Amino acid sequence: MIKRITALAAAVALATLGFVAPSQAATEKDCAKKAVWCVGLVTDIGKVDDKSFNQSAWEGAKKAAKQLNGVSKYVETQDPKDYATNIALFADKKYDIIVTVGFLMADATAEAAVKYPNVKFIGVDQFYGGDAQNYTGLGFPEDKAGFIVGYLGGYLTKSGKTAAIAGGPDSIPPVRKFIEGFREGVAYAAKERGRSFPAASTVYYTGANAFQDPAWGASTAAQYLTQGYDVIFSAGGKTGNGGLARVAQQKGAYCIGVDTDQWDTVPEARNCLVTSAMKLIPQGVIKLVKDAKADKFPGGYYLGKVGAAPYHDFSSKIKKSVQKKVAKVTKRVIKGTIPTNVAP
Amino acid sequence: MRKLTSKSSLLTYIVIIIIAFFYSRDSLVTTSVAGSALLFGLPLAMAAMVGILSERTGVVNIGIEGTLLFSAFLGFFIGALSKNLIFGILGALIGGMMMTLLLALLAVNWKMDQIIAGTIINILAAGLTSFFYKQGYALPSILPRWEVPFLSKIPFIGPVFFTHGPLTYIGLILIIALWVGLFHTVWGLRSRAVGEHPSSADSAGVSVVRLRYINLAIAGAFGGLTGAYLTLELVGSFDRGFSAGKGFTALALMIFGRWNPIGALGAAIFFGTAQAVANQLMITGVVNIPQPFINMLPYILTIVVLAISAGKVRPPAAAGAPYEKEKS
Repeated sequence: MIKRITALAAAVALATLGFVAPSQAATEKDCAKKAVWCVGLVTDIGKVDDKSFNQSAWEGAKKAAKQLNGVSKYVETQDPKDYATNIALFADKKYDIIVTVGFLMADATAEAAVKYPNVKFIGVDQFYGGDAQNYTGLGFPEDKAGFIVGYLGGYLTKSGKTAAIAGGPDSIPPVRKFIEGFREGVAYAAKERGRSFPAASTVYYTGANAFQDPAWGASTAAQYLTQGYDVIFSAGGKTGNGGLARVAQQKGAYCIGVDTDQWDTVPEARNCLVTSAMKLIPQGVIKLVKDAKADKFPGGYYLGKVGAAPYHDFSSKIKKSVQKKVAKVTKRVIKGTIPTNVAP
Repeated sequence: MRKLTSKSSLLTYIVIIIIAFFYSRDSLVTTSVAGSALLFGLPLAMAAMVGILSERTGVVNIGIEGTLLFSAFLGFFIGALSKNLIFGILGALIGGMMMTLLLALLAVNWKMDQIIAGTIINILAAGLTSFFYKQGYALPSILPRWEVPFLSKIPFIGPVFFTHGPLTYIGLILIIALWVGLFHTVWGLRSRAVGEHPSSADSAGVSVVRLRYINLAIAGAFGGLTGAYLTLELVGSFDRGFSAGKGFTALALMIFGRWNPIGALGAAIFFGTAQAVANQLMITGVVNIPQPFINMLPYILTIVVLAISAGKVRPPAAAGAPYEKEKS
């Protein structure tokens, strides 16, 4: 029995080590040199090809490293216990910048910033209020992006029933802010149209496979569709993508993607995807990496930009008057003249 | 046996009364929740068949997760690359069988520890599907939903059971067929004998190794069916880690259903219902309970029911033991 347990433990340990991407032109061995800039990226339990959040952070890191002729690599965390280990994997190889992705990694990153003062840390979706100069939390006003797409949804719905499927729990602020912003946006549009829609319905996923369960997303979307909901904001990694794909199978229903322009990343959703609530993560990461290189790394909390993705094929199907209204509201929400009323 | 029948008929009446009550209050939502219960439950039920068939013939199979993952992967990519969903389904079936036949090779031929053999399947599937996964492929379409004429017009039962894609119908039929096969045919009797007491079966002239191979291949086909259902019928896409723990849940439902196909189907539908009800509580938003607690519902209910109904649960006697022919 003991033998069996140790073998099992060894197998699990092997599995949690994760997967390291193949190397590029300049190799990791040069990271100790000052001239070569190395950018390492550690995901939380999401995957680097989630077609939304982690993927866009990795794109940013990759592009930034390329522009600096440096090296970029990633490690996917399989188990939250390994955050520190995975960060150390890069820090010990003398990487210059380590990007940690996701709210859940905030504590581990703050600890690492103290432990490795010579390494710069960029924490995507992390709200850092401490004073370590080598750690910058890159946050986004997700509520604004949610509000904008919710406003559009409020104009698109025929049944007045709108819904948001969250691939993660509401204890993760970016998830909650997207969803609540969406609700506020729908309500704003309803008021403008002089209609009394019920508030947008919400389901949060809180199981063990947050952001990773497409079948759950699809089944939940089906549950909404059979009850006559016709605008569904499906937000949250692969779980959200499953919801999008399911809505695409229903005639007359609209879906809204998240984080990046999912028209490109989730082609199976193109039948329904009117827009995506975008966080400009790659741009934010690239900016901070360049700041670091120029010795202007801000430290503390840095607020990135958000927006709504283009309509693509739906630009001919959505009324021009609605498009104009959305453009106007987008500007005012980003500026802050229309408050989203969502707690930070 | 008689006692069991009365117990299960009592349960049926209770379920019918509950459904009728909610249906009279809100027919749309009740139908929708029941439909979702099937969506959540069916893949778990089909996956549980992999475990039932394996263990009934004496091979512990904790590699269900890997079997699902690999078959969904193969089904999706063959379907997407050939632009043909039939090839996709065939690919998924072959993928599932490849994984369980590998388990057969490790556990039956090489007499490896079956827990470790199952773990190997899981790790291998996760590794292969991660390494060869490429973004940007899409299926030509998904499997079309077919509303069965007449039957789909029946209130409640019609929309819940008769408005699905082909694999739902095939899955339900095959689960019942497996139950008939296991308990009412010669093949089933031999299979169970091999799972309970292989040496007796052997001395009665049944080839233990051959039967274990055949049954693991069939189990793999069930896994392939589940993978095909998930990727080609339910979601219409594939991602790394696509199975998201369903293989392990299925393993628990197999025990919950006492290694009986109908029992596991019932357990899966029960679990699916709890999941759909948990969703509906949030959709309607009438009760203000924190979400984590609502989402605990399926698991808590399962534990409660298990605690009440446990006591007589017993796995097949020879499950986990490689068969060594006695030498005289």
